Amino acid sequence: MALLETRGLSKSFGGVQALRDVDIKIQQESIHGLIGPNGSGKSTFFNVITGVYRPDSGSSVSFSNQEISHLPPHKIAALGISRTFQLLRLFLEMTVLENVMVGYHCHTPYGFLSPILQGSKVRETDEKIRDEMIELLQFLGLASYANLPAGELSGGQRRLLSLGRAIAMKPKLLLLDEPGAGLSPVNLDNLMHTILSLKEKYELTVVVVEHILKVVMNTCEQITVLDHGQKIAEGSPEEVQNDHAVIEAYLGREMADEDIRQVIRA
Amino acid sequence: MIGFLSAVEGFFTGLSRVHRLLPWILAYLLLLPLPYLLKHGINEYYVDLANRACLFILLSVGLNIVKGFCGQVTVGHIGLYAIGAVSSALLALNYNLPFWVSAPIAVIITGLAGILVGLPSVRLEGAYLALATLGLGESVRIMIAVTPALGSSTGLMMIPEPSIGEFIFDNFESYYYLVMTCALIGIYLSFAILKSSTGRAFQAIREDAIAASVAGINVPFYKLLAFVISALYAGLAGALFAHMPPGYLHHNNFTIIEMVTLLLMVVLGGIGNVWGGVIGAIMVTIIYDQTKDYYFYQPLIFGIIMVVMVVFMPHGIGGVVKQAMIKRKFIEKHEEASGPA
Repeated sequence: MALLETRGLSKSFGGVQALRDVDIKIQQESIHGLIGPNGSGKSTFFNVITGVYRPDSGSSVSFSNQEISHLPPHKIAALGISRTFQLLRLFLEMTVLENVMVGYHCHTPYGFLSPILQGSKVRETDEKIRDEMIELLQFLGLASYANLPAGELSGGQRRLLSLGRAIAMKPKLLLLDEPGAGLSPVNLDNLMHTILSLKEKYELTVVVVEHILKVVMNTCEQITVLDHGQKIAEGSPEEVQNDHAVIEAYLGREMADEDIRQVIRA
Repeated sequence: MIGFLSAVEGFFTGLSRVHRLLPWILAYLLLLPLPYLLKHGINEYYVDLANRACLFILLSVGLNIVKGFCGQVTVGHIGLYAIGAVSSALLALNYNLPFWVSAPIAVIITGLAGILVGLPSVRLEGAYLALATLGLGESVRIMIAVTPALGSSTGLMMIPEPSIGEFIFDNFESYYYLVMTCALIGIYLSFAILKSSTGRAFQAIREDAIAASVAGINVPFYKLLAFVISALYAGLAGALFAHMPPGYLHHNNFTIIEMVTLLLMVVLGGIGNVWGGVIGAIMVTIIYDQTKDYYFYQPLIFGIIMVVMVVFMPHGIGGVVKQAMIKRKFIEKHEEASGPA
């Protein structure tokens, strides 16, 4: 069953068509890779799904059989879609713990007036949320930094924290925008391992945008390739790897020639 | 110094474990004898100054919620203060309502006005938002200045003091208990709000509105909420100011210079730091008082302090102290964990 399905998804910024009639089906509890050269519309795809941008009219995005293309971001988040950002967008002046607690926002069982009217209830609930979030931080290995501002973490820790914030939302669908950017190979392996174990633990469906093809090829079950805002290929890693259009998009027309590729491989 | 503050904080945190209101009750008891100490130690004038400091605390704590925590640059706060003051005064003068009725109504009116001031924040950010709110705040003052019913150039006079039965809050000492209680409750409520998920939502919007919205926060709603809460604070401060002896209001109390003074309190004390706002309000009240002989140079003095603060201490005094305390705790914790070297 498809958890997320887009039909005729388009987005244009003035004259620039960032996405053109993209149809993608993301299967429940799968890891789906989304690849493509720079400017191919991968990040726009995430922004449109999460409501940061409104898609062009005629586009349809359905999540668990519910149309979400017209909803504002916070409503889409409440339905169970969470994401990380390429540039992380952490709340740098808030503590590590507060960052993940913001992720928990949708599940907070009290209203915005409760802090004034029901002080002790808010305290007790927050205590519980805090314990749960500390557990999550322990899993990510960030628990000892819980009370430090997020801005004092290292680059790799920040990537983990942004993942933690997305997980704290208890999503059904997790969208990862270049989770491995700027990580060393060892850190990258660790991160992919963490993502896979989180997926198992929380029964997530994951979509990964990634430039490091090794990551995508090794972990994803299904891959979609975008180029200039259009879907040019889709299938298992092997199918995509040998697709002529994909090689052309990545390496240019001349390099797509079979003979030259033989030379490069040798 | 930091060690002393950490000890004080530890003591109060310990008290709050016994009961969450205990530290506040203790603080209240400690503040009770202040007017007598000021009156007999120095002179009565300083009681009036303490009252003004309490009003400024209410204003700066409210401004800190919208500016410090939610990150919305507003320069219209003084307009809300004016709305609170004038509406409570008019309700008391024209309809003979007692303070206990006119003030809450004024606070609600100001809260509604807060929605108006906050509306531009849904679409505007930074300097553009500052300009929009500046326009709204300043237009309130001009309205008051040109409308005879609102006081115009003569101001509103003979605004009745609050009273309970026979007892009238008609001198500085008795009024102190009214404003101090309000200020303390105001500080307590602002902590209650800011330590909840509402407060975290405000801060998340300040740090990154897009990340906040994707994390499930209704950004326009929480921005407006921050404006309304801060407006409620401003309305209360305004109502208290209007009925404060000698019960006189003039539009000169609500100029852009006053707004800059308010901003200075928040910047000096620490943007996004409740105690910082309180310290800032007290310090600015004292600086304001000490420099009143050089009235014409006051904007200059405040301007210089503001620039120096922004350049050298962007998080204000409160921010520096908080940072030092966090560092200290972190180091202590790690020394504990690793044991004696």
